[in-house]
Amino acid sequence: MEFSKFLNPSSKLNIILIISFSISVNSFILFPNVNNVFYILFHLTLIYLIFYHYHYYLYVVALIYGILFDILLLNNIGVHLITFLSLLILFIFLRKYLISLSSYQIIFIYFITLIILLLIEQSLANLIHNYKFNMSAFLNFFLISLIIFIPTVFLFTKLDK
Amino acid sequence: MAPKFQIKVFQISSFIKNLTIISIVTLSFLLVFFSKSDLYLINGIKNISNAVIIPITKVISAPVNVFSNFVDEYKKFRSLKFENKILQEEIIRLKKWQTLAIQNSRENKVLKKLLNATDNNLTLVKTASLINRNDTIYSKLINLNAGYDDKIMKNMSAINERGLVGKVIDATSNNSRVILLTDPNLSISVKSVSDGIFSLLTGHGDGKYLVSSFVKENKMPRLGDIVVTSGTAQIFPVDLLVGKVAKVEKNRFFVLPFVDFKNIDYLQIVTSK
Repeated sequence: MEFSKFLNPSSKLNIILIISFSISVNSFILFPNVNNVFYILFHLTLIYLIFYHYHYYLYVVALIYGILFDILLLNNIGVHLITFLSLLILFIFLRKYLISLSSYQIIFIYFITLIILLLIEQSLANLIHNYKFNMSAFLNFFLISLIIFIPTVFLFTKLDK
Repeated sequence: MAPKFQIKVFQISSFIKNLTIISIVTLSFLLVFFSKSDLYLINGIKNISNAVIIPITKVISAPVNVFSNFVDEYKKFRSLKFENKILQEEIIRLKKWQTLAIQNSRENKVLKKLLNATDNNLTLVKTASLINRNDTIYSKLINLNAGYDDKIMKNMSAINERGLVGKVIDATSNNSRVILLTDPNLSISVKSVSDGIFSLLTGHGDGKYLVSSFVKENKMPRLGDIVVTSGTAQIFPVDLLVGKVAKVEKNRFFVLPFVDFKNIDYLQIVTSK
């Protein structure tokens, strides 16, 4: 608890990013959904950081994680890198509209952004690298997103005070 | 003078920020554009991610791994008595098979001498152990602790004691990456042992079965037929064990691989002689 006082919310969220990234790129045979859960948690954390703690360093973060996800999960650079950077660029243009929204509307947009991000990643993998679009895996992602979304938002708001 | 100075600092900082963003976007564009080439930079990034990032991620995800191993050990402990009984029965069965195998081996040697046949068509390049797995929705890959320093090259076959496991898709100095047979993005040319029906198999979405994507002359193999690599695509050596036909439908059939993809510890990287 004492240690956590020295960290600002942005640092805490970055630690969550590192942990969720590390777990999502390692598969566990007995718990096949663990890396899926942490993969979604990574996306949720990144979107939260962009929405609530936007800073220029996030471009470097998106670049590094985008390249690493692409190499470790797909063995080809492209899908995650394009998606993360596009989200950041898109946010600059949409920021002025997001500010005027209520907290419930922002949470709804937060969830929609997550689902669209996951959908675009799979579609881009199919378009750029010819990976097969796996509908059942996407539905699995959707279900996991539904389950972990509210607890994650609750955790992030607690971290953010 | 002071206000002017402040404005100047703000302008420079904003310029640097914009320049950083433009540089990152340009770098990303170039990386995506050249990602499929064998450029030194791309290979360097892959090398770093395999040699540095994977061990770091393994350390960070160690608590999950420890918990996973604990659950596994607990499950094994619970089934110990039952397994013991099965193993005792298996020992009796295997002893009978051993006697038969020794007889067959002697017979085989004699027949080979008579036919003037060579022993097998494989050259072992390296036996490597598994570092980690990337079993995700995109692909089913495993990383091995041997790379091109151990003469492992792209497109070499990976096998274990049960049969064909996959194909090397990337090799760095000390690591290599193998795509598993169960990956929907990998196709292998196979033939059935009894009828010699040629077909192409790809991984099914469930990660358990292989499904035919093309069958020559639309002839379906019989249920229970053993399927081996045909060697026609010249990627996999001929006659490597793949699996057994588990289900036959009108236009396609399903193969259950011999390899237990959940229990892979060591792999042999082989190539045709």
